[in-house]
Amino acid sequence: MTTTTDTPAPETAAGRPLPRLPWNKHLVAIAVLAVLLVPLPLILPSAQASVAVRVLIFALMSIGWNMMSGFGGMFSFGHAAYFGIGAYTSAWLLVEHRASPWIGMLAGMVMAAAFAALIGFLALRYKLRGAYFALATFAFAEMLRLWATNSDFVNRAVGYHVPLRPDSSWWWIQFEPASPNYFWIALGLTVAALVISVQFVRSRAGQFTKAARDDEDAAAAVGIPVMRYKLLTMALSAAITSVAGAFYVQYFLFIDPDLAFGSSVSIQAILPAVIGGVATIWGPVIGAVVMGPLNDVTATVLRNPPPALEFLQGRSGLDVIVYGTLLIIIVLLLPKGIYGTIRQRWSRR
Amino acid sequence: MRKTWTLSLALTLPLALAACGGSGPAGTTNGGGAQSGGTIKIGSLHPLSGAAAADGQQMDNGAKLAVEAINNAGGIKSQGGKKLELVSADTQGKPEVGQSEAQRLIQDGVVGLVGTYQSAVTANVSTVAERNKVPLVIDVSSADSILSQGYKYTFRVQPSSTVLGTAGAQFLDQVAKAANQPVKTVAVLHEQGPFGSAVRDAFKAEAEKAGIKVGPAIAYDAANVSDLTTQVTQVKASGADVLMVSGYYRDGVLAAKAVATVKPPALKAVYGVANGAFDLPQFPKEAGAAAEGFFDANYHADMTNADTQALAKLYQERYNDQIRTGAVLAHDSVKVIADALERAGSAEPAKVRDAIASGSVPTLIAGNGPIKFGPTGENENATPILMQVQGGVVKQVFPADKAEEKPLYPAFKSQ
Amino acid sequence: MTTPADQGHAAAGSGGVATLDPDEVRPTRGRTVPWLRIAVIAALVVLAVVLAYVRSGSGVVVVQAMATGVLIGGVYGLIAMGLTLIFGVLDIVNFAHGSFLALALFLTFGLTQAGLHPYLALAVSVPAMFVLGLLVQRGILAGAMGKPLENQLLITLGISLIIENALLLFFGGNPRSVALPGDRGVPIFEAVANLSRILAFVGALILAGLLYLLLQRTRLGTAIRAVAANDTGAQLVGIDTRVIYAVTFALGTACAGAAGTLVAPLVTIEPTTGSLFNIVAFVVVVLGGMGNVVGALVGGLVIGLAEQLGGIYLPGQSPLLSVFIVFVLVLFLRPQGLFGRSA
Repeated sequence: MTTTTDTPAPETAAGRPLPRLPWNKHLVAIAVLAVLLVPLPLILPSAQASVAVRVLIFALMSIGWNMMSGFGGMFSFGHAAYFGIGAYTSAWLLVEHRASPWIGMLAGMVMAAAFAALIGFLALRYKLRGAYFALATFAFAEMLRLWATNSDFVNRAVGYHVPLRPDSSWWWIQFEPASPNYFWIALGLTVAALVISVQFVRSRAGQFTKAARDDEDAAAAVGIPVMRYKLLTMALSAAITSVAGAFYVQYFLFIDPDLAFGSSVSIQAILPAVIGGVATIWGPVIGAVVMGPLNDVTATVLRNPPPALEFLQGRSGLDVIVYGTLLIIIVLLLPKGIYGTIRQRWSRR
Repeated sequence: MRKTWTLSLALTLPLALAACGGSGPAGTTNGGGAQSGGTIKIGSLHPLSGAAAADGQQMDNGAKLAVEAINNAGGIKSQGGKKLELVSADTQGKPEVGQSEAQRLIQDGVVGLVGTYQSAVTANVSTVAERNKVPLVIDVSSADSILSQGYKYTFRVQPSSTVLGTAGAQFLDQVAKAANQPVKTVAVLHEQGPFGSAVRDAFKAEAEKAGIKVGPAIAYDAANVSDLTTQVTQVKASGADVLMVSGYYRDGVLAAKAVATVKPPALKAVYGVANGAFDLPQFPKEAGAAAEGFFDANYHADMTNADTQALAKLYQERYNDQIRTGAVLAHDSVKVIADALERAGSAEPAKVRDAIASGSVPTLIAGNGPIKFGPTGENENATPILMQVQGGVVKQVFPADKAEEKPLYPAFKSQ
Repeated sequence: MTTPADQGHAAAGSGGVATLDPDEVRPTRGRTVPWLRIAVIAALVVLAVVLAYVRSGSGVVVVQAMATGVLIGGVYGLIAMGLTLIFGVLDIVNFAHGSFLALALFLTFGLTQAGLHPYLALAVSVPAMFVLGLLVQRGILAGAMGKPLENQLLITLGISLIIENALLLFFGGNPRSVALPGDRGVPIFEAVANLSRILAFVGALILAGLLYLLLQRTRLGTAIRAVAANDTGAQLVGIDTRVIYAVTFALGTACAGAAGTLVAPLVTIEPTTGSLFNIVAFVVVVLGGMGNVVGALVGGLVIGLAEQLGGIYLPGQSPLLSVFIVFVLVLFLRPQGLFGRSA
């Protein structure tokens, strides 16, 4: 994140910028964005507001993924495990023990972090890398799915329904279906996750993790305890993604093993970061904003196609084809992601 | 600071654009907008793409035909002959999409929803319906848990897993006794999900009441199974005289192929309960001779009914495909909402809900009588009937008043 | 972020492939049969069988489970062969493999509808899929070579979405089937198996043999192995890696084509049928070692047996659970695969 220093931009006229300045800028941008987005659910019609909440859940998952796989360089193809642990822990505590979803969320974070540390320890102990590391994380997520599907402890394949309450309540995270509160909570959680990732990257732990990502041997040689920082990164990453899972349950009021641990969940965690820009603060958010509604947009356009495309109306599958094509085009044209590419252009200017 | 602002703008712009794109045609009415237009809207939520697309499209088509029939007959007469309009949405088989599409349809002003096939999607849509106070009539989704939430706005036309399993056991007992060869032991092969397990439990309880021994019960994972020969060999080793199979289409075909390969000598019949394959027209085509004689106790369109035959003919002409029971259920579900609109004299969702709860609607599905909902929203007259593949065609064989042909039991000559 | 190059080193580094002349490579091949490893695997299999017998108490069931396991394993190996080539040489986690398989299934279905014998459809499906693979690699994936794993993953995911939904668009979602004329049950000891499954298994053996010969005995195969071992090195000695990438990917999809035709009589043909095999195929690829076609066959057998015998050990649990347990153990204990050292 070393931005322009080769050209004398007016801002840097006061001298070399302090190393921390770019990160403070991120914090300011987060604050500005948060304030700008607060009125959004009041403007949007309810169906679009629910898409907006979905986008935020999407972003939250991916911010978690980005921490481990972007900044940490450990490609996870099993973030469904942490999403699912967050979802199931809070659902289980709520349904079986009447615990508030906020408590469930915290418990889920702890559980997910512990599980991530365990997987991380095994994977790093046996020196798995690249595709092998990815497949190992995938296997663990799948094992959780299969276990949940066949275990009476978590209600087997039936999953959990969150009981409806007659009243609205912040403590139980349940409001009128079109309530803007859902959006605001999701926004708050996403902003918190963004701030945490900014702080993480500028912290010593974050710098060490990035050093280990770029050259593990060199990092170890200068005395960085690589294993410890990698595990820390994984645990933090898992905890953030688990929050998305816990919120998902409260918003959709239902969870089952496929929704929690399915491989499509892992893909959803990867997608926004890659589209937006891996190992950037803003990548996951931008990617979620672009990819989240894309499905709905293609479906809407093809539902009422412009006259030229009328012959396509009512053919199912076409919206997904368009979605797949756009996905390929974006990844091919912007291999560093939307934000990553823009940032590159800026720094070149 | 300039960069910060540009950044924020860059971030908010796509969100705003996306929101606009998503809202496109929806922005005309907002809540309770049903009266504003000239039509009354009903939402149809089915998986039009994804793994269950074939069934989803059938069901959507069935709902379309129902709307068309009602409109041709003069619309909703108590409301000045207002026409119905079916608004179709694709759940893609994903609960999140189902949820936001349901939200969109409600915002679009639908007075009732019909759907959705997959239980996970239905579970999500039923909470949306409950919280927005818009009735949901479930055409297909068997999970017992959906209606055990105490929801007031959710109704189900098809029989539950428990009803299917119980009636399935009774039919088996009666058919075998009528043939003077009472069943001694039934082996069970079922998919391991909540659906297969619930059917197994109900079947087992009822069969044991009739003095039939049940066992072994073998579960398999319908999502991944690619061969059932070993499981059928276990059945062969157990010496059971009937094999009960409960599952979906693909695994049903695998079971049929495995039985034809292993040929358990003691087996007198393969007996599906709520089996997703054995009563479908394409099953005998795909499994060929291996399908001959297979029973299935399942909810099914009543082909002895002239109206059902007319609908099937219309469907064949219109969509060039054989109608499935799912399409008939969707058709009936729309009829349920239309009947409620007629009697309520209002297009207000809450009033429609009350009218649905007190209604009694004739059905094209074979059952004990008209569609009538109990206190939990379950159709009290929903029941399976027994079908059998005879001469490469699925025939209704039991109970006698719904039978096209007599049941052939034992289905297999002892080998 | 690990670059594809060093993943290649970790995985498919086979002895002395950097040398280009096929005549020099040949002599080193003969003595690389890993007898000890084969013996260990065989001993584990025997142990698993004995345990299964103790658990079920029925000899017939165990024999049947083994026969089925071996035959299914052959199918898994068959499907995984193309994938392992692509994985080993291009370092792409190809999520579109299952949808290529589905495409071949529908192609076979169409040809048999036109009156062709299912196995004669091979003459069309293999070349057709080869060409398609060539086009996809040159047209789409070439732009993503050397990019991070997650980019390639999303691209192949996009390809699979397009193929599956195009099939849905053109064929509709109704399940289809291909009947093999003269298919029947064939007794194997006390067990039985369908002729079509046995023929698919034989097809897997033949295909593995052909691929092995291609990789070991031809100039092209040598070049492919060279690129797999070290692509920059291969480039330095004058191999056009772009051509090798394209040809390898095309070979991989052609294998999916062959697999699709051979498997067609066994499965219900739907647009999503191919994806069912994706997960298992990846497991098999890792078990066998990336880029190792014979390893894929053996890995397939191990998974087939694990699945069938696992069903006996853990009744009520999904057979996939035992597959993943085996998978994770192999990942940790032998990350280069059961036969990682031999190419």
